[in-house]
Amino acid sequence: MKNIIEVKKLTKMYKNLKAVDNLSFEVKEGEILGLLGPNGSGKSTTMNCMLSLLEFKEGTITIFGKEMKPNAYDIKKEIGVVFQDVALFEELTVYDNMDYFCGLYIKDKRTRKQYIEDAIKLVGLEDFKKFYPKQLSGGLLRRLNIACGIAHKPKIVFLDEPTVAVDPQSRNNILDGIEKLRENGATIIYTTHYMEEVEILCDRVIILDKGIIIAEGTPDELKELANMEEKVSVYIEKLEEKHIEEIKKLKNVSEVTYHNSNLIVIYNKGKNNLISLTKYLEKERISYDKIYSERPTLNDVFLELTGKELRD
Amino acid sequence: MFLHNLKYSLKTLFKNKTLIFWTFAFPLILGTLFQMAFQDIEKNETLDTISIAIVEEKENNIKNIFEELEIEDKKMFSIFYGNEEEAKEKLEQSEISGYLILSDTPKIIVKENGINQTILKYVVGEIIETEEIMNNMITYEISQNGVLTNEFYQTLYENIKKIELENKIEIKDISSRNLSYTLIEFYTLIAMTALYGGILGLYLINQNLANQSSNGKRIAVSPASKRTIIISSALAGYIVQLIGIALLFLYTIFALHINYGEHFFFILLLTLIGCLAGLSMGIMIASIFKINENTKTGIVIAFTMLSCFLSGMMGITMKYIVDKNIPILNIINPANMITDGLYSLYYYETLDRYYFNIISLIIFSCFMLALSMQSLRRQKYDSI
Repeated sequence: MKNIIEVKKLTKMYKNLKAVDNLSFEVKEGEILGLLGPNGSGKSTTMNCMLSLLEFKEGTITIFGKEMKPNAYDIKKEIGVVFQDVALFEELTVYDNMDYFCGLYIKDKRTRKQYIEDAIKLVGLEDFKKFYPKQLSGGLLRRLNIACGIAHKPKIVFLDEPTVAVDPQSRNNILDGIEKLRENGATIIYTTHYMEEVEILCDRVIILDKGIIIAEGTPDELKELANMEEKVSVYIEKLEEKHIEEIKKLKNVSEVTYHNSNLIVIYNKGKNNLISLTKYLEKERISYDKIYSERPTLNDVFLELTGKELRD
Repeated sequence: MFLHNLKYSLKTLFKNKTLIFWTFAFPLILGTLFQMAFQDIEKNETLDTISIAIVEEKENNIKNIFEELEIEDKKMFSIFYGNEEEAKEKLEQSEISGYLILSDTPKIIVKENGINQTILKYVVGEIIETEEIMNNMITYEISQNGVLTNEFYQTLYENIKKIELENKIEIKDISSRNLSYTLIEFYTLIAMTALYGGILGLYLINQNLANQSSNGKRIAVSPASKRTIIISSALAGYIVQLIGIALLFLYTIFALHINYGEHFFFILLLTLIGCLAGLSMGIMIASIFKINENTKTGIVIAFTMLSCFLSGMMGITMKYIVDKNIPILNIINPANMITDGLYSLYYYETLDRYYFNIISLIIFSCFMLALSMQSLRRQKYDSI
């Protein structure tokens, strides 16, 4: 796959604060790239620089091999953007909002009409075409916000936290819609601080913190970066201190905590960790309930790399 | 793109209740209030024929003079002749403003003090005074020459004419020829409506700037040229403003019966340029100030109201006070440029002052647009 976007040594300053520091990465055609990071990590700033909404101090951004500038209209017509804030006209209906924004890209009325119908179907707003934004719920508004950004069938779609403050049903609908966009061949740049979404959707992830890339790779590659291999949680009514100490001595165990009848055992890489734990509990005749084994998440990776949670 | 944005800008404006209220409804409401407040004042100040009664106890030429007196080709007095009882009854029932008892010395009986009673007293006083002057002249002439010569009659006639002329001038009703309070207020209302176009300009530009609104961000990342979007939006604002002004004129002329006089074309021309000034002011405020939309709207409304206040909306005296003490303020005040241009159509025989105000408004608009363009051009990136 060829690179469709190239960001090289991008630096953006807000007065004396470096919001983005010497950032370089590429986006390949047809992939979903996740930009992951806590609030203030530089995700939105990076995206706004890529869209020429912000002037940056240093670096270059090329899209389709051409330099991205405010008046690069030939590039802009192939880009769709869904901002974090809902951007709609309160005075226009769902259909008119879509027609207005789509009309900024597509001149032909017949084509536009077909595209709008497709977008409405994609986000599931068929029954709300004549509604005004104030008549829609928060979730439906978000869907309309997305539809307005992608109705013109762009080759590149920027999605800036599109699922913030959205109900589960709308969230699933939005995520399904993004999958469909990918199936239709769109390249997607997806910023979020919801790691679950990144894990489900993204082919590749860039983790940002304080304006720099702290990790980059596929979700699985990133999980490899985490020191832990497995986290086992067991519900045990009562556990003596001596047992905790003995569990710590089991093979591959790196950390043990016991709190509110919940035993958490973190393992380093290795096999049969869960079996060795259950064998020990049975040998010591410790009754247990509800046992879970979890692989590390991107949040664990982030925690490992920065010492803080993604949603901090 | 131009027509697409124009179409949706118009649709957006017409469906925005707040904007429609300030642009369409508020001037009409204010116009209605002005009419209600000022029509009585106007009515009170117009000299109508005064109904009086004359009780002739003795033959007196005064009654002939009363019958001949006219204001603006209209009889000044409507006279009822009868006895004192009848006159008294009419006065009690307020059918007449007062009555005159003609005896050796005429007596005026009135029930209350008012403009009609004052005129009645004034006219009687003038007649008596004139009569005394003539009597004195005759007595003097006889005592000097023993006879009244033709030359004396000629002099006497000229003096009477002179006195008559003076009296006519004194009681001439000038209220209908001059600018009325109501019309002055409606001029400031036109100015206010024109300048309120600033709210439209402000709203439209805000919707198109990425650093001002989410919609602006979405438009900024689209392939639509900023210039096309801004020009078509401004045109939409101007069209809506013109519709607002047309509504105001139609309402004031046909519903409130305001007579704008014979200079309607000039009034319209000045108003159209005034609208441009209002719109450009809104565009300038939207482009230059990096503050939230509500604060900007507040600035436009406050500026408009202050401008109208200084140009005489809440009392014409303010315009004269500013003209006298800080004339520069009225020269740069767009509301005053509009109202002053409209006044000048009535006060001056030539159109020099009118054109001065037209040119001032054009300069004001160009200045506002130049400031906006400079600011928008500088914003190559939107710096959200």
